[in-house]
Amino acid sequence: MSTLAVGSILSAFTPAVITMAALVIGAYLLTVFEHCLAWGSLRQARAAFVAPLADVVALLRQADTPPEHPDGFLFRSAPIVALATVGLAALVIPVGRGATGLDSSIGLFYFIVLLSPFVIAMMNAGWSSNSKVGLFGTFRAAAHLISYEVPLGFAAIGAPMAAQSLAIGRIVEAQSSLWFGVWQPLGVVIYLIASFFVCFRHPFDAPQASSELEGGIFAEYTGPRLLIFTFALKAIFLVLMAMAVALFFGGWQGPVLPGPVWFALKTFLLAMVVIALSRFVPRLRSDQMLTLSWKALVPASLLNIVVVGVLTILIYGVK
Amino acid sequence: MRLTGKDSAPSAAPGAPRARPHTTERLGWLDRLASRRQRYLPIDGGAGAQLFAALAGQSPLVREVASPRHADLLIIAEPLSAQLAPALATLARSVPQPARVLLVGAGGASASPEARALFPDAPRVPGEIQAILAALTAPARLPRLRLSDAAPADESPTISLPPKREREIATELAVLSLGPLQPFTAGPLRLWLICDGEQVLSCQVDAGYAARNIAGRMRESAWQDAAALAATLDPLAPVASRLAYVRALEALQRWQLPTRVAEAREAALAVERAENALWWCVRFFRLLKAPMLIAHTFPLATRLAAAGARLWPTLPPSAWLLPQGDAPTVEASAVEALHGLAADIEHLARALSRQRLPQLRTREVGQLSAQRLTEAGVSSGPVLTASQSGAGDIQSRLLARLRMAATALREIAPGARDAARGPARTPTESGAPSWDVPAGEAEGAAEGPRGRLAVRVRSEGGTRPTEITWQRPSATLLPLLPEVLRGQKVADAEMIVASLDLAMAEADG
Repeated sequence: MSTLAVGSILSAFTPAVITMAALVIGAYLLTVFEHCLAWGSLRQARAAFVAPLADVVALLRQADTPPEHPDGFLFRSAPIVALATVGLAALVIPVGRGATGLDSSIGLFYFIVLLSPFVIAMMNAGWSSNSKVGLFGTFRAAAHLISYEVPLGFAAIGAPMAAQSLAIGRIVEAQSSLWFGVWQPLGVVIYLIASFFVCFRHPFDAPQASSELEGGIFAEYTGPRLLIFTFALKAIFLVLMAMAVALFFGGWQGPVLPGPVWFALKTFLLAMVVIALSRFVPRLRSDQMLTLSWKALVPASLLNIVVVGVLTILIYGVK
Repeated sequence: MRLTGKDSAPSAAPGAPRARPHTTERLGWLDRLASRRQRYLPIDGGAGAQLFAALAGQSPLVREVASPRHADLLIIAEPLSAQLAPALATLARSVPQPARVLLVGAGGASASPEARALFPDAPRVPGEIQAILAALTAPARLPRLRLSDAAPADESPTISLPPKREREIATELAVLSLGPLQPFTAGPLRLWLICDGEQVLSCQVDAGYAARNIAGRMRESAWQDAAALAATLDPLAPVASRLAYVRALEALQRWQLPTRVAEAREAALAVERAENALWWCVRFFRLLKAPMLIAHTFPLATRLAAAGARLWPTLPPSAWLLPQGDAPTVEASAVEALHGLAADIEHLARALSRQRLPQLRTREVGQLSAQRLTEAGVSSGPVLTASQSGAGDIQSRLLARLRMAATALREIAPGARDAARGPARTPTESGAPSWDVPAGEAEGAAEGPRGRLAVRVRSEGGTRPTEITWQRPSATLLPLLPEVLRGQKVADAEMIVASLDLAMAEADG
């Protein structure tokens, strides 16, 4: 194989490898934070640093025991699809000036479209398990699918409206003087709530309700496949928070520190804040989530579009 | 990626590259790291509800999971009945290897025959948090989960679906089987929810998995041995169970209770009611997945457990709850701590009544009227109190239990200072108990955590009872389940069952 070909392959894979490595580290730190938040005391917090590593090793060593008569292809492919969509979605997020895996002029559109296969992978996980609890989890996940798309899209569209571009790098650069989140607070809130729908995070974790459905869509998964799903859920949450930072909080921009450092700090700070706030709400039912989405978030997101449109004209003028 | 066991290094042919052997040290390090984290599946045979509620909040390295496929450790709280064995065997077969098992005893020196039959190699520890944690700190010493070859297969009963109506838009009904090992009741219970999507159309209850025939065994035992059996009727309320029996004997013996003994017994009942209420709150908030409420309730429950243990520094209630027996003096400082705890519980109840977010899942859900409860034979308990003074929904049951706990603790009479350092008054020194029971019939009752626990005893003057009949509060609530669950969402149905606080060991008898 020629040197040029090897170089091309390496240059193609390098962003993906770096992205996955960043997601792994991010998922680990997120897990540590969740443990520290749950346990409080310093003595328990020290154990929180070991617990995720021990989980990984234990799950890798666990035997793979599939359920009886699953849909083999869907059962085996679901975690791979989930992981792949997370990785692909993360590629378009710029962590610094020019530091992005995939610089696309329609980056935001590409990102939003890629969220759907992730949720469908979750649905496949429950459907293919050939179990009642998985089936119930699948239909709850379907409710998530139709709950997040419109509010998240309409909330995120405010940033491209202001930046007049779907390219995420351009959106970040357009916030050099004022973050979009300052004058689009409604969009921020809607985006963050809809993000929880996508990630199946508490309080919207009914599809995998551990107490109600014995794990729901993940009830029949063991070992490495369960590990992949666990990682994918945390990674997609980080990716969504990173996108929120890019859309509303100035991305990598900040004084003194390098751009990627600012980006990482903002992402983790935002993730920690929303996780801490979510602890005040109990787990909501699927119909409550649908009600919240269609009766509150969708009208609010439409209002957000109107408000952002008017403010964009006032701030940036008519071109 | 699979980490296999240690392989012996193949002998290398001359000139062939030497294969890298697996070193014991590398695998041992991974073993140690993997074993640091215990993902356990709790199996509650009837006595483990409070234990598991406490265990789940001990360490981030010991985590409770809901699916057997996610677990690497089964913690089984006895008692186990023969009816539960098939379901338990099926569950154990679902746990992926490597897995381990730990038996937690409810009492007695050895494991129950059913537990030994299923898990012949499983170690057994006493039903105490510290004993379980000590076993979990060295999980590698726990033997691998090995199911007995004679373990029965689960022959799950089938149910008949309601006839399919001819409709323009027809939907298929789904039957969701919850249990018998599920987290909504304290002990095993199977519920068949016949659902149209997320809505429960009807429910069938399959109880009896925790039946131990306590009444029958008491009839075959001497009076003194029957007292020990009475305490196991409700393993979560041994004081109430035992006291009901002791009062029945004292009624037959026509014994007048001294005030000090009455106060001590009421104090023991009060602490038990409060403990049950608080640990139930911890379990309920975990099912509801309300992290902030767990964070507020768990410390209260652990403080109560510590303060309750200090009430009688020399003798626990099981040692002095005897017919015509004396009672040790309560420790005054412990009573003061309990009174302070009562104020904190009342504060929590007030906060819960104001917070809107938790009420999204509890308000106007699972309503039961007081009239309906009375018709069903429910005569006391927090479920009835909630229906009489509130809306009879989950929210009112939650508040009723908290207020019951606070009231019970506040009404404990102040004891004597330094009771531990005073002269120890044991039942053997004064007020010797009497197991001579004359002929007659009498009823004894005690206000337990779930309502009035009563027993009717008939004696013919012999060495053992002739007739024992228990009135169990959880058993009167079971027939109401199909009615209260009809029309509810699946998620709400499970919370409703949890809100009734059914103790299946007590309900099945």
